[in-house]
Parts: sequence; C-alpha cells; structure tokens
Amino acid sequence: MHILEVNNLKKVYTTRFGSHKVQALSNVSFSVEKGEYVAIMGESGSGKTTLLNILAALDKPTSGEVLLNGKNLAEISEREISAFRRDNLGFVFQDFNLLDTFSIQDNIFLPLVLAGESHLEMNKRLLPIARQLGITPIINKYPYEVSGGEKQRAAVARALITRPQLVLADEPTGALDSKATASLLRLFTEINEQGQTILMVTHSTQAAAHAKRVLFIKDGEVFHQLYKTSLSTEEMYQKISDTLTTIATGGERHA
Amino acid sequence: MPRFFYQKLALNNLKKNSQTYRAYLLTCIGTICMYFIMHAISVNEALNQMSGGTELKVLLFFGVIVIAIFSTIFLLYTNSFLIKRRKKEFGLFNILGMEKRHLAKIMFWETLFIALLGLTVGIISGMILSKLMFLVLLKLIAFNVPLAFEIPFSSISTSVALFGGIFALSLFYNLGQIQLAKPIELLRSEQMGEREPKTKWLLILIGAISLGAGYYIALITESPLQAFSRFFLAVLLVMVGTYSLFTAGSVGILKLLRSNKEFYYQPRHFTAISGLLFRMKQNAVGLANICILSTAVLVTLSTTFALYVGVEDQLRNRFPRSIEIKVYDVENVDVGTIRSQAFSILEQHDLQPQESVDFRDLTITVAQEGDSFLVGREYFSDFSPNVGFLSFLNLADYQRIVNKPLSLEEDEIILCSDNSYPYETLTVLERTFTVKDHSAPFTGHLDSFNNYSVIVKDLEILEELRQAQAKVYGESASSFTHYLGFELDSSPKQELEIYEEMRASIGAPPISIKSRAAERDSFYMLYGGLFFIGIFLGTLFVMGTVLIIYYKQITEGYDDQKRFAIMQQVGMGQEEVKKTIRSQVLMVFFLPLVTAGIHILFAFKMITRLLMVFNLTNVQLFAWCCLGTFVVFALFYGLVYSLTARVYYKIVSV
Repeated sequence: MHILEVNNLKKVYTTRFGSHKVQALSNVSFSVEKGEYVAIMGESGSGKTTLLNILAALDKPTSGEVLLNGKNLAEISEREISAFRRDNLGFVFQDFNLLDTFSIQDNIFLPLVLAGESHLEMNKRLLPIARQLGITPIINKYPYEVSGGEKQRAAVARALITRPQLVLADEPTGALDSKATASLLRLFTEINEQGQTILMVTHSTQAAAHAKRVLFIKDGEVFHQLYKTSLSTEEMYQKISDTLTTIATGGERHA
Repeated sequence: MPRFFYQKLALNNLKKNSQTYRAYLLTCIGTICMYFIMHAISVNEALNQMSGGTELKVLLFFGVIVIAIFSTIFLLYTNSFLIKRRKKEFGLFNILGMEKRHLAKIMFWETLFIALLGLTVGIISGMILSKLMFLVLLKLIAFNVPLAFEIPFSSISTSVALFGGIFALSLFYNLGQIQLAKPIELLRSEQMGEREPKTKWLLILIGAISLGAGYYIALITESPLQAFSRFFLAVLLVMVGTYSLFTAGSVGILKLLRSNKEFYYQPRHFTAISGLLFRMKQNAVGLANICILSTAVLVTLSTTFALYVGVEDQLRNRFPRSIEIKVYDVENVDVGTIRSQAFSILEQHDLQPQESVDFRDLTITVAQEGDSFLVGREYFSDFSPNVGFLSFLNLADYQRIVNKPLSLEEDEIILCSDNSYPYETLTVLERTFTVKDHSAPFTGHLDSFNNYSVIVKDLEILEELRQAQAKVYGESASSFTHYLGFELDSSPKQELEIYEEMRASIGAPPISIKSRAAERDSFYMLYGGLFFIGIFLGTLFVMGTVLIIYYKQITEGYDDQKRFAIMQQVGMGQEEVKKTIRSQVLMVFFLPLVTAGIHILFAFKMITRLLMVFNLTNVQLFAWCCLGTFVVFALFYGLVYSLTARVYYKIVSV
C-alpha cells in the first residue's frame, strides 16, 4: 500500500514582480510504501528542500499533487493543516530545532501537548522511546547542556512520540560528528525495522547507504533510483558513489 | 580604496539598520530638543524681570540637571542595545578582512552622522519650540506681562557639549565592545546558550519584606512631617522590593506553576510558562525599570498637577485671611492705633473688614508626645515629625471672635483641632488642662497640621505660661503677639494696592503684614514652575519608557522568530502561535503598568500627607489628578504597545 504518493510535482518560485522565475521542481513523481526507508539525494540546489517542504505541507506546489495515506494535502484546509502535520508526520532536522526554553523531556512532549494529550499518556509513551534512543539519563537537561548527537536523538524522539505515519528527515546527520552519525543511522535502521516509514533527504552518501531505496534528484526531477535489496551497506555505498559520479559527469537519465 | 569609502559604508549601515536606528535617532532628537528648551528657558534674561524669577530659575535649573542625567542614561542604554544587535554584522566585516581599526573608522562615522543629524534637528526644533514653551510657562505661572524671549547662545553650546559628550561616550563603549571581542565571538554573540534561571528564595524573601515594609510605612504614616522624613525610605524599600520581586519572584512563581504537571502540560500554559521563565531572566530588570519609571512619571505628574490645580486651596490654607497684621512687641506698640490706621486705609477704598479676627496670643514651640507637649530645645530638632506650635488665646478674645458666651474653669481649655486630638487632657509646662471642647471651629494664624490653638481662661494663665517658657527658652523665648486678620471683598488688584499702602504706613518691624494677593504670584510661580517641570520630566520619562519597551519588543521578536518557526514545524498552527506569543507579550508588557498602579494606590495616602506640607489638603482633587494621569499614561502605553506589537509581528512572521 502506498503511504505517500507524489505525482508530477512542479514548483516555480517567482520574484515579487514576476520578472524572475526559478524552477525548483520540474516534474517529480514517486511513491513510498508503508515500512519503507527512502533516501532522496541530490546536490545543493537540486530541489531537495523544496520537495521536503511540500511533503511537510509547509509549502504548496505550483502543480501536481501529494497524497498521504490517500489524502490529498492540497485538500486539507489551512485550519486543519497543523493538526494533520502533528498527527501524521514526524520531523527530524539538520540543526535539531529543539527549543532551548524547554528541557529535553518537554521538547519531546511538545507535539503531544499541542495535541492535548494527558500528562499520564505522555509519560507512558516517552519511557520506551527514551530507552530505545538512549536518552533517559539526559531527559531533564536542557538542549544547550547536551551534545549534538544527544540533541538529534531527542529530536528523533520528538518525531516518533506522536506515532506518525511518516518520518521526514532533512539532512539529519549534517551537523553530527562521524560517531554520532553512525549511531543515528543505526537508530534509523532499527526504527525502520520496527515498521516505521522514513523519508530522508540528504547529500551524505554514508547516510543514504543505510536506506532501502535511494532516489536521485537533479535539476528538479527524479533522475535515477537504487534499491538496496540484499546489498550490504558498504556495497550500497559504492553503488551510490558511482551513481553520483555518473550524475556529476552528465550521465543519461535512468529513472 | 574608493573615495568616502568609510563614510558611504557608515551611511549604508545606518540605512540597513533603520528599524532600530530610527527609534534611537528620534530619542536623540527628542532629548536634545527637551534639554535645549529647558536650558534656554532657565537661563533666559527675561525671567530676571519678574519677582520670584530667581527662585523659578533655580527650579528650572534643577530640571535642566535632571534632563541631562536622564538623557545620558537613556541614550547610553539604547546605544548598548543597538551595538549588541549589531555584533554579528561587525563580526562578518571582521572576517571579511576588515581590521578593527577599520571597524572603528566606520563606527566613528556612524556616530558622527547620528550626532550631526540629532544635534541639528534637535536644536532647530528646540529653537522653534522653546518660544512656545516659554509662553506655556508664563501662562502656567499666571504672568501676564509679555516678555521678550531670546534664544541664548549658551543653550546651543551646552547642548552640543553635553550631547557631543554622550555620543563620544557611546562611541568609546562600542569601540571597547569590538576591541574586546574575537571575531568568532562577534558572529555568535547572540546565540549563546541560556541557562535556566534559578529560584533565588533569599532574594524573593528580601523583596517581599522590603515591598511589604515600604507599603506598611506608606499606610501607617499619619503626620505630614513624618511622611516627609519617611517618604524616601519608603520609596527605596519599594524600589528594592520591585527589583527583587521582578527578578526572583517571577521566576519563583513560574517554576511553581511548572511543577504542577496537570496545569503545565496544557497547550496554552506549556509554551507560555516556559517562554516567560526565560524571558523574565533577560527582561526582569528592564521590566522593573519600566515599572519604577512609570511610577515616577505618575507620581511626578499627578502631584505637580494637583499642586497646580489646587493652588487657590493652598493659598487659602496658608493665608486664611486676605490681610493679616501681626504685632510682635505688644508692650511698646499701641495695637489700637495700628488697627485704626489699617481700617482708615480700608475706608479710603470704600471697604469694610469682613470676618475680622482680632486677638492676642502666645505661641510656643513644642514637641508632642501623646497628650503632653514638651517644651525645650532638647526635645526636638528642626525636622522632628512631632514638632509643632501651640497658640494660646484667652477666653475673652475668643468669645469676641466666635460671638458666643462661654465659660472655662482655671484648668480647662478649648482646643481648636478639627478633631485630630484624641486625648482628654493636655499637659504643657507642668500644667495639666482638661480639654472641654475638642473641635472648636476656629482658624488661628497657624497652618493646619501639628499646630493647635488653645483657649485658656484668662490673661493670668497666659502670663504664667509666658514666664514658664521664658525660663526654658531664655533668649529665644516667645512673647505675646497681637493678630489682626480680615477678609476683603475686592479685586486682587485692589487688595494689592491696600497691602502696599498698609506696608508703607504701618508695616515696619515689629509689625508684619501679609496679603494673600501678594503671595498669590509667588504661589503660581512655584507651583506653575513645578508643574511645568513635571510635564517636562514626565514626557522625558515616558519617552524613556517607550524606548525601553520598543527595544524589548524588537529583541523578543528576533528571539521568537526561530521559536515560532520550530513550533510550526512541530505542528502548532500559525494562529495558535500568534495567540500564545501575544498573551505572553501582553503579560510582560502590562505587568509593569499594573504594578505601577498598585504602587500608586499604596503611596496615595502618604502622598496626600506630603501634599499637606504644601498646604494642599484636598484629597479628592489629588485622587482625580492621580486617576487622570494614570488613564492618560495607560492610554499612551497601550498606544505604544500596539505600535510596537506591529513591528514585532513583522519580525516574527518572516
């Protein structure tokens, strides 16, 4: 079953007086199955972030449609969009986006509080997630008191606590050192194995090598895709590298 | 390097930061303009031509000093805010290859441009407005003779010197800030992690105690002189209380709220409490400043306003009769001759003395201790709150005045005290009298507070008292005085003429003559002048308050920008975010105003007592003045809020 369906997505940015038009996405189509772990790769300016913003319903496409669980995002009213985002999507950002006025625990609770959950329920959900992510000891600290890796794990906990249909991760390893990166990627694989659907945007080959499928975007289009199937992460890494070289040297389209 | 490189860069920087610099420039212009006006008026030659002009000049000079001090504080404060915001910009310049001396050059030009613009516009608008303000002042002090007003050169030079100095100081401060910092620190200075504030219980305790003590003093103080001596203590205590409760108390309360899980984990409370907790840490001192300033504005404006509006009341309290003649040496001066001379002057003007009061009395300086009045130097200093006067009259004089047959025993007295004396007896100079009547309707020749007119049986008792106090006071003992006072049914102008004639014919020592009409001018001069300064300082304070608020809003806006974005990503609706931030800001904004209102409420009684020292006894008038000032101030405050809130939203919703 498709959990996410993206059809002929196009996004054109226009400057205020319409004199300049920049095409960020020209024609993007793909779909994500339930329980999949998909990485989207592309260079800076390839339209990755635009795509993610549209998937997150933070931006609207010029044309085309996005279906989440069969529901067209464009049909959700402005009023319901926040609640929809809160209930169905979990976000992990490159720079964590934790609020420094909240403790780690309260940061994780934030979406639940907004959803009006009871304090008891929040605690019940937090315990297993915190244990799995290994953040139980720092739960009462503040973001500025913990390391980058811990911050990112807290952000993952915040994304997971609402039990979302889809976790959207935007360069999640971008601000982490190699050790923290490795541990986060292991964590993503682990979560995915428990059934969580993940869509990750990255230009880190290492990160993408952990995904089950990698989509390459170039000039606003899906240029190519790779399936990991039975490959090891190292083999996948090699394959992605090759593909990137091909793209960079101007290879033909394969998607 | 291109010509005028630094100058162009400096101008460009100012333009780029116009959102913050516009308010700074306006403040510069405003303070310079106000300083100029006050200075120009205070040194004006024209004031020397009026009687009491020198005193007024002293008063105005005091205003000049206060404006100078506050301008310095405000402008330096604002500058420090501006430079904090711009550190990142300078860090970038530094990293792009500019050395610190180049940055210094840019800053120098920026300051110079601001200074030139501020001084030019400020002084020119000061020149235009000072003439108008001078007319307002003349109107307030009820001076009707048109006076020429020239703009003194010294006003221009002192304004340039003072504000030039302030600009130089801010430049040095900024250079110091840049000099000390490393480029990477400059780039990052705004995003340093913030620690959660700790609850400082000791500070809360100190704050609560001093605020309580300040309020308590304000509430229990009954006597005006006491109010005078305790007022500054009370102000100090309340200030300490305000600062410590704003800083520590707010954090304490918010933490308490946060520890209540059921309450805390609700959408509305969750973000508000944690946001306020951190915001209070940065802003508590600023908010306490706003609160103290607002209170100062309200007290200054309402008291000077009340004193000015109530000037006729005060005049009547201080001078109960149109003309008062006091004969100090009754042994050697024939009171009868003086009286007939005075009345014949009235006859020449076709006037009769009305409500005439004519008596001989003995006034003794005393220190009151309950129902006993101590006589002697050792019992009081000049400003003791219990020092006062007893004015002794004999029954015969009193009967004539009130036109009623009365009788008194040897040890009985009648006390004229409008019921403020609760005791049954009165002991003075080793004699104890029984008070037969506490509230005789009679105004002697003394002010109302701490003084009593005492009616005794006859002249023998008066003489005994005189001899007894003469033993104690020796050289400086009192002797009998004869008092003659009456109302006149005439115009103030005629009253003045009569007063001048009487002074010429009988007004030589040991006789003193006072006229209400003659004192009216000096009253208007004093209270009009005070009101004028009150308006000026009030405006200045309001300007300062507004400025602090404005910059506070902007800072918070930039802080909230990121928070706003994150919360939206996590699933908070745009409307919800706005609502949360609004309620948060609203609370922070109006907390100082509400606290200032509470301060005023508690201070009310004490200030009325203080005003009694200035012979203003009309409590209702003062209450209206307070209410009026508060409403006007609150309206202004609200206006500023809505204006700055708009700027704030613009920043936040980027």
